Amino acid sequence: MVTAKSEIWVFGDYRNYFQNRVTLQLISRATDLARPLNATVCTTVFGCNTDEWVGEYIAHGAQKVYLVEDESLKNYSSDRYVTLMERLARQYRPEIILVGATSFGREFAPRVAKRLGTGLTADCVGLDVDDDGLLVQTAPAFGGNLLTKIVTPHKRPQMATVRPGVFREIPHNYEATGEIVRVPLPKDLPADRIRITGYEHRPPLTQKLEDAAVVVCGGRGMGGKAKFKNLFELARLLGGEVGATRPVVYAQWADEDTLVGQADRHIRPKVLFSFGISGAIQHTAGIIDAGFIIAVNKNPNAPMMKMADVAIVADANQVCLALIKELRKRLRG
Amino acid sequence: MRLDPCMKHKLVRKAVREFAEAELGPIAHDVDRDARFPWEVVEKMRPLNFFGLQVPRRYGGADLDSISYAITIEEISRVSGAMGLCVTVHNSVGIYPILQFGTEEQKERFVTRLASGECIGAFCLTEANAGSDAAGVETHAVASGDGYIVNGTKIFVTNGGVCSLPLIFAVTDAANPSRSASVFIMERDMPGYSVGEIEDLCGMRANPVSSLFFEDCRVPRENLLGRIGDGIKIALETLDTGRIGIAAQAVGIANAAFEASVKYSKERQQFRKPISAFQSIQNLLADMAVEIDAARLLVYRVCALKDAGKSFGKEAAMAKLYASTTATTVTGRAVQIHGGYGYSKEYDVERYFRDAKVTEIYEGTSEIQRLVISRAVLSELT
Amino acid sequence: MVKMIVCMKQVPMASELPWDAKTGTLRRDLSDGMMNPACKNALEAALTIKQHCGGHITAVTMGPPMAEEILREAIAMGADRCLMLSDRAMAGADTNVTSFTLARAVEIFCADFDLILAGCHTTDSETAQVGPQLAEELGVPVVTYADELEVKGRSVRIRRVSDNFLETLEAELPCLVTVNTHAFKPRYVALSGLQDAFGETNILTVSASDLGLDPETIGIKGSPTKILDVYAPRAEKQNIVLKGAPKRIVENLFERFDTMIGGIIRKDIEREGRG
Repeated sequence: MVTAKSEIWVFGDYRNYFQNRVTLQLISRATDLARPLNATVCTTVFGCNTDEWVGEYIAHGAQKVYLVEDESLKNYSSDRYVTLMERLARQYRPEIILVGATSFGREFAPRVAKRLGTGLTADCVGLDVDDDGLLVQTAPAFGGNLLTKIVTPHKRPQMATVRPGVFREIPHNYEATGEIVRVPLPKDLPADRIRITGYEHRPPLTQKLEDAAVVVCGGRGMGGKAKFKNLFELARLLGGEVGATRPVVYAQWADEDTLVGQADRHIRPKVLFSFGISGAIQHTAGIIDAGFIIAVNKNPNAPMMKMADVAIVADANQVCLALIKELRKRLRG
Repeated sequence: MRLDPCMKHKLVRKAVREFAEAELGPIAHDVDRDARFPWEVVEKMRPLNFFGLQVPRRYGGADLDSISYAITIEEISRVSGAMGLCVTVHNSVGIYPILQFGTEEQKERFVTRLASGECIGAFCLTEANAGSDAAGVETHAVASGDGYIVNGTKIFVTNGGVCSLPLIFAVTDAANPSRSASVFIMERDMPGYSVGEIEDLCGMRANPVSSLFFEDCRVPRENLLGRIGDGIKIALETLDTGRIGIAAQAVGIANAAFEASVKYSKERQQFRKPISAFQSIQNLLADMAVEIDAARLLVYRVCALKDAGKSFGKEAAMAKLYASTTATTVTGRAVQIHGGYGYSKEYDVERYFRDAKVTEIYEGTSEIQRLVISRAVLSELT
Repeated sequence: MVKMIVCMKQVPMASELPWDAKTGTLRRDLSDGMMNPACKNALEAALTIKQHCGGHITAVTMGPPMAEEILREAIAMGADRCLMLSDRAMAGADTNVTSFTLARAVEIFCADFDLILAGCHTTDSETAQVGPQLAEELGVPVVTYADELEVKGRSVRIRRVSDNFLETLEAELPCLVTVNTHAFKPRYVALSGLQDAFGETNILTVSASDLGLDPETIGIKGSPTKILDVYAPRAEKQNIVLKGAPKRIVENLFERFDTMIGGIIRKDIEREGRG
C-alpha cells in the first residue's frame, strides 16, 4: 500500500524523555522539511503504555503516529524494534526516516537502513531540502573539523541520524490533534537474540561532563598538579564540571574520566573556560560544539586562543585564582 | 640500500613515538628539572623489549635490525634525551660487548638479565686521568686465586646510579697498560662496589651519571670478558657501535627542537604576521631541515653497513660527528627562534639546547671522531 | 577457543585533514595513516579474550595498499592472520556498501567465526554504522558501545551504558560487538612483535573479483549515498583579547559578561560593590 501523500517519519525515542528531547526536535525540523515536500510528519512509537508519549508527540507537531503496543515491547530492544521499523517502512513507504543519534538510535538506524537497502547519514547537524526535493544531510567528519553534505539520490527512504540539541522543538500545544494508526504486533516477530539480564536506570549522579552547561578545561599550562586542583574550585563555584587534556591525564593531574578530545569525550557546554591549553586538534575536536569560549594562555597565538570568544593573555593559574576570588565576592554579595 | 623508510621502519617509529609521547612526554620536563630517573617508565619499557633491542631472541631480546634500533633511540631522545641516553648506552656499550666477545655462559648469565631490563647496563672507561686516551686507565685488576681483585674509580658513568651489571675497563699490568687492558663484568652486589654522588650536569639531568668505586672488589674469572689484553680491541669496537646510538640520539634531540621551532614560528606573531613569514626565520628552518635529514641518512648508512657485516668505524664516526654538531647548532637556532621564551626553563627548547651539547663530548669527542675519520681517510687514499 | 574477527580501518593521522575537493572523498594516498583508535580497543578486547579463553584472531581491513601497515601492527600486537580487501573498485564506499563487501569476505574466508569485534566509531567519517550493518549482512546479533565483554562457553556477556541505562546483555555466539573507546586500553606494541610482523606472516590480499563482486555494486558506484560537498566550517568568534594583571582582566571579563555567565549558571554574579 502506498500512501497518497508522502511521509516524513521520526522514530519516537522516548526513553530518557526529560533529558533527551531529540524526538521533539526532529518533529520540529520534519515540520519545516514537510512544507516544500507537501508531506505528513509522522512518528513511530513502539512500547507498552505509551499514551503519554503519543500525546506529547502530537502536542509537539506530529500529524500521525504509527503505534505498536505490546507488553513484550516494554524494554527497548534493538532486535525487535528494527524488525518492526523495517516492516512498517516496507508497508507505508515513508520518504524520509529521521532518528535521534542517541546510543540506541545509533545502533538501531544502521540496521534499519541496511534491511531497507538504503543509505544513512550519521549524526547530522543540518537537514535541508534541495530544489529537487532531496534531503540534504550535513554531517560532521574529523571531529567536526569538516562538514560533509550528503544525499541519497535513488534509494528510499532517505535516512539520517541527527545529533541531539541541533534543532529547537516546537512549543507544545495540547489542542493539537493527530491521527493514530494502531498496528498490531506481528505474530511472526522473531525472538530477541539479545537477552537483557540487567537493566537499571542510571540517572547521572553528578552532572556529567557531556551535559554540563559550564566546563572548566585545563591543560599543561596550568603548571602543575597542585595548581590544577584550583580548577575544581572554580568549577564548583560555577556549578560546572572539570575537563582535561590528554597530557594532563597522563601526568596524573586529573582522572581519566575528565578527558576531553576527539577520541574521548565530546562536550558542548554553553560556556567553556579553557586554561593553559594550546589547542592540538586531538583536543579541540572534542570542544567543537562549545558555545562561548574563554581561553587563557600565555601564548596569544596558540590555536585555542584563536578559537576563543575571549582570549586572555596571562598565566592560566593566576587568572583561575583571580576568578575564584572575584566569584566568591560576587556570590556572597 | 633503500633511502625511503620501509613500512617496518615507519611502524617502529610510530610505535616508539606513541610510547614515548604518552609515557615520557608528560614527565620529560619534570624529570629533567628534578634530576630524577623515571623508574616507573623503565617498568613499562621492560616488557616492550626496550632493553634488548638487538639482542637475539634466545636471550630474550627483540632482535631488531640496526636501522630499527637507531629509529628507536631517535624517537625516545626526541621526547627525553636522558632516557634515550639510558637506553642507547644500555643496549650498545652495555650489552653489545658481551654478545660480541662473551662466552655462551656469560651470555646466558648476563645478557638475559640485561635484555629483560632486570639489570641496567653501563660501560666504564673514563677516569680522572683517562678518557680519550684509553691507555691512561689506572683501575687495575690483580689475579688472585680463581679471579681478580679490582681497585679503581670510574667517573662520568652514564647510568652509573642505576646500573647493576656495568662493564669496566681495567689493566692488569700498570707498566704495560695497552697490552694488559681488559674488560670485566661487574655486579652491583659485589663487596667493595659503591656508587658515588650523582653528577650535577648541564643536561641529560634525568640520567644518574655518577662515579663508581671499586675497593678490593673480588671478581670471579667467569666475569672476565674475552681474554686479558683484549681491552683495547673490545673498547674500540664497542665505541664504534656506541657512536651509532649517540648519533641517533643527537638526531632525535635536533628533530624535537626543529619541530618546536616550526610550530612556534607559525604561532608567534611580530609586525602582524607569523615570524615564519620572515626570510631570516625561513633560512634557519631550511638549514635545520637539511642538516637533520643529512645526519639521519648518515645514521641509516652506518646501520646498513653494520647489518651487512661490513666495517663501519669511519662511517660511525662521521655519523656521530655530524649528528652531534647538528644537534648543537639546531638546538641553538631553536632557542634563537624562540627568543626570550627559548631561554626560559618553561619551554622545552632550553632543555634540548642543554641536552644536545654533550653529544659532542661523550662516546668520543668531536675531536676524536675527526681523528678516527682522518686516519681512515689518510690510509684509504695514497 | 574463540574464533574472532577484528575489523579495522586506517584513518589519517589526527593532525592532518586531507580531502579531495573535487570528489569530496578523503585523499588517502597522501596522508600518513594510523590504526583508528577504537579499532585498537577492539583488537585489545580480542587479545584479552584470547588470553583468557584461547582463541584465534583474524584482522580484516578494507582500504588502499598502504593500509597493510595497520594489519602488520595488528600482527605485532598479537593477531594471528590478516585479510586485506584492496581494490580500486572498492574505493569511496559508504557504510552500506562497506559492510556488504566486508560480509562477503567474511563469508568466504572466515565463515566459521564466533565473534566479530569492531571499534564503536572511526575518527574520520565517524558514522559508527559499519559494525551494526555488517551484523545485519551476516544475520548475527549485534551489541554496540560495549564497556565490558566476557565470553563464557558459547555465549557472550556485555555491559554497557546506553542513554543513562546500565545494561547487562547476553547473546549466543556467533555475534558482533563494537567496543567503546574508553574500554580496553590498548597495549603498546612490543618491539619483538614488530620484528615478527615483518617476517613470514599470514596476510591474504583480496580483490573484488576474488569475492565475486560486480564492480558496479561496490565502492563509490554501489553506494546509496553521495557526497555533494566537503568543507571546513567557519567558526564565528568574537575574539576579544584581554591582557594585563589577572585581577584587572577578571574584573573586565565580569563587566562585559556577568549577565551572560550568570544566566547560564543561574546565579546572580552581577553588581558587587556597584549596586
